[in-house]
Amino acid sequence: MKLPNKNKTSENESKIYSVYPKKVKFQISIIFAIVLFWYFYSLRATDADFLELFGDLDVVFGKLIEMFPPDWSYIESAIDPLIETIQIAVVASTFAILICIPMSLLSANTIVKNKFIYQTFRNIMNLLRTMPDILLATIFVSLFGVGIFPGILALTVFSLGLLAKLLSETIETIDTRQLEAIRSTGGNIIQVIWYGVVPQVLPSFISYGLYVFELNVRASLVLGFVGAGGIGSIIDTQLNFMQYQKVMAVLVLLLVAVIIIETLSNMLRRRVV
Amino acid sequence: MITFKDVSLVYPNGTQGLKDINVTINKGEFVVIVGLSGAGKSTFIRSINRMVTPTSGQLLVEDEDILKLEGKSLRKLRTKVGMIFQNYNLVNRSSVIKNTISGRLGHTGTLRSIFNLYSKEDKMKAYDNLKRVNMEEKVYSRADELSGGQQQRVSIARVLTQDPSIILADEPVASLDPPTSHQVMSYLRRVNKEDNITTIVNLHFIDMAMEYADRIIGMRDGEIVFDGPVSEVSDKTFEQIYNRPIRDEDLRGSEENETSEQE
Repeated sequence: MKLPNKNKTSENESKIYSVYPKKVKFQISIIFAIVLFWYFYSLRATDADFLELFGDLDVVFGKLIEMFPPDWSYIESAIDPLIETIQIAVVASTFAILICIPMSLLSANTIVKNKFIYQTFRNIMNLLRTMPDILLATIFVSLFGVGIFPGILALTVFSLGLLAKLLSETIETIDTRQLEAIRSTGGNIIQVIWYGVVPQVLPSFISYGLYVFELNVRASLVLGFVGAGGIGSIIDTQLNFMQYQKVMAVLVLLLVAVIIIETLSNMLRRRVV
Repeated sequence: MITFKDVSLVYPNGTQGLKDINVTINKGEFVVIVGLSGAGKSTFIRSINRMVTPTSGQLLVEDEDILKLEGKSLRKLRTKVGMIFQNYNLVNRSSVIKNTISGRLGHTGTLRSIFNLYSKEDKMKAYDNLKRVNMEEKVYSRADELSGGQQQRVSIARVLTQDPSIILADEPVASLDPPTSHQVMSYLRRVNKEDNITTIVNLHFIDMAMEYADRIIGMRDGEIVFDGPVSEVSDKTFEQIYNRPIRDEDLRGSEENETSEQE
């Protein structure tokens, strides 16, 4: 807000009735116009027509109706792949959680004072995060063949980047005075971490771990489509055979499983934070 | 005994923290360092346990030049030199006893400390020290549940658990109200007398310095501008040290006079 200048009160008085200076208002309007233009341009360029979507509603509903009633008998053969999916998520999350601990400590400037080491690990972490999970899975499937191993590998790498980033940023915001106190008692670096850092970041760490696990359950589903095992593979197969009622049954099963997992992890999270 | 010989410290940004400090502090003394903020009090005190490292000169602690210490020998020095901070610096989410026993870290192996395998004597020591500062009833409370004064008392217990021969206190009462300030200073004073621990305290309150110190060292701009026993100190001395007349804010006020200024 622009306050009136004391010497020139009469001249500037009118300006104080606006919360933002004129210049800022003008800039915001311009940016808004550009964004709006970009939206419409993108819609045109990609031939995405909302009217057309509404025109095709009957097709959409037709497909939806084809999915009902779900073929409940198929659920039985979906249980094993579902368990496989959860296993992939558990194993990948565990690996990621273990590896992210040294990784995030090395890329937190409250712990590592050496600029070179700090920057190196920061960059590795950023590189890890630039690769989308589905791309990782495709690469690993082509390297190691179809199965759950490439799925685990892809999710480990993917969630490691995310987890290490979250954790290292938390470690960077801790109260370093508490570490100073531990150091002043003669504690070595591991003791400083265990006594000073761990108590401060543990609740967030557990929360991040659970979050990444939930994320992995959902991601491992998508990875099935590129041959990385789990329940995604059978959805892919049934979609190709146009067995929509079976697909629907699997989706319902999945929905229930995800809700159960998220409820459990929310309960756990509430206890620690 | 602590001896500074031509000790200077220049921070990486060019600020001169200490300028040619020459001073000897004897075993068992209770020394108060006074000076305005930025005078170099903190730098002085933190040099003694090498939380900062002077850039030239010699600093002898019990006849050992500590400026060259590294790694293990540096940690050994720190076990002998305990430190108390303005903001208590307890690990907030840990219990009082865990904070106190962390004073033993320098004496305990890494693995033992990770699994809390402290010897019985260590645990007794931590408990006894909490008792000395009247905090034994809060053993399992979390540190952040305590009031400021209580936290500072726990931090005294933590330092005592180190079995130090020197205690450094960096503005230990600056965040406390007058009655609590006096309580904390009394504990420090008592420990100094009972255990014969050399105690060096940074303060900027003139009246508290006068009340608790054996000896006062005045600092200005990284230099020692006064050094002498309390008996030689008058208001004039402080005006010299501060290089300005004494103001109300330089006084903490007595235990009864609670209405006086609070930070």
